[in-house]
Amino acid sequence: MQDYFLSIKSLKVAYEQRGELVTALDSVDLSLSQGQRGVIIGPSGCGKSTLITVLAGLNSHYTGQVLIGGKPPASGGETALILQDFGLLPWKTVWDNVILGLKLRKKTAAEIKTTAETVLEKLGLSSLAKRHPTQLSGGQRQRVAIARALVLAPKLLLMDEPFSSLDALTREELQDFLLELWEETKLTTLLITHNIEEAVLLGQKIFIMSSSPGQIQQEVENRLAGATHLRGELQFLEMCSTLRSFLRGRVHDEASA
Amino acid sequence: MRQALKKGGGTISLILSVIMLLGSWWLLALALKSPAVPPPLGAVKIFLASLRGDLVIHLGISLYRVLISLILAAALGVPLGIFLGKNPRIDAKISPMLYLTYPVPKVVFMPIFLILLGIGDISKIVLITLIIFYQILVTTRDAAKNLEKGYISSVQSLGAGSRDLYIHVFLPGCLPSILTSLRLGLGTAMAVLFLAETYATQKGIGFFIMDSLSRMNYEEMFAGIIAMGLMGFFLYVILDKMEKVLCGWVHL
Repeated sequence: MQDYFLSIKSLKVAYEQRGELVTALDSVDLSLSQGQRGVIIGPSGCGKSTLITVLAGLNSHYTGQVLIGGKPPASGGETALILQDFGLLPWKTVWDNVILGLKLRKKTAAEIKTTAETVLEKLGLSSLAKRHPTQLSGGQRQRVAIARALVLAPKLLLMDEPFSSLDALTREELQDFLLELWEETKLTTLLITHNIEEAVLLGQKIFIMSSSPGQIQQEVENRLAGATHLRGELQFLEMCSTLRSFLRGRVHDEASA
Repeated sequence: MRQALKKGGGTISLILSVIMLLGSWWLLALALKSPAVPPPLGAVKIFLASLRGDLVIHLGISLYRVLISLILAAALGVPLGIFLGKNPRIDAKISPMLYLTYPVPKVVFMPIFLILLGIGDISKIVLITLIIFYQILVTTRDAAKNLEKGYISSVQSLGAGSRDLYIHVFLPGCLPSILTSLRLGLGTAMAVLFLAETYATQKGIGFFIMDSLSRMNYEEMFAGIIAMGLMGFFLYVILDKMEKVLCGWVHL
């Protein structure tokens, strides 16, 4: 049996809402090996974000087994979370946002300075360190969110629709940037998206989810991941249409059921 | 450059406002021809003269009472407001109590405070604090409740505990609302201060005004009103400066 870095087995998350029991996720099985990039795609309300909160250690009300590097998820551990609206604090400068995680981990001032400077430099953000998030473009903000995650040297990167609020060009630019970063760091990543092209471009493993309750419908191995030069090529479009038919099929099944 | 122009513009509109205010006062005094509304010139003269007398002492005492009340109300209302905003379940249990007691005009308790706490500063400070406390509490609670959830979960995922969330997320995130509630509270505090100082005290600007009234010295009474207005203005300026320094990010 293969040794997975991230392994989820029969995960179930249910919570009470206005006296009713809502099952957000049911019998979810998902695994990624070290350095692998997984993408989850599915309709809104399929429990994708619930899954992310469990993995980020922010939600411990689940049953089943979740192991990250052999340990159950914990916040402030080796997992970094990047949200759709970036979650940057508008009252802190870029610098203060980036070093927050290091500060919370009680690192020494010297250590904080070197780590943050290196990461900002690498992401081309050094000149923006004194600005506030509202003074940045969407793409720059997203980079700052990535920097904030990277300074902590995480073992697992979780991204919840990280590019959905960006314009098409910025989105492509950042996708390329992420691919380069992955090439360099080999960081195990789980990314959520509702964009089929993005899933094909970024995900080595693509998980198609269905809603109510959230379940993984299909798992697709994707050899085209990272092939930016194939964007818009026939192979790429064929893969997209395969995914689309999986997503459609699910809708169709639900309609006929 | 733009900053300087803006600053200059502020001073000009301030001077214009003072001229407008004094002008309408003067017109009103001319129209009414009543000793109860003396023309501004005499009142300003008396005001300037009283500044060398005991008006300054009265002013200082009133300022002390209002400032301590504002600080106390914020020190109590802000942490509790954030706590309730952060914990909706506890808030659901507490808020009925809050809404039952909020509309009760707290000034009616003044006689009780006088009996329990004496006629000194404490009874007045407690009364003013109690009244502004509610405004700060409710505003802060709502601000904390409406704080973007992404800020909280992203900072939590960095490993923040409850205390870290207070310091890095809730307090700075609620600060603009807190300062707004302080500005609103200041107006209320001044009104309550006047009322509190008209009972059983020999000190404070409220006493100064009522004392002048009882001696039918209307010019001195208006000197007191000017002093009270300036005191409020001075406190607003301080709050404005605080807002600029602490919440600069809002205006970016």
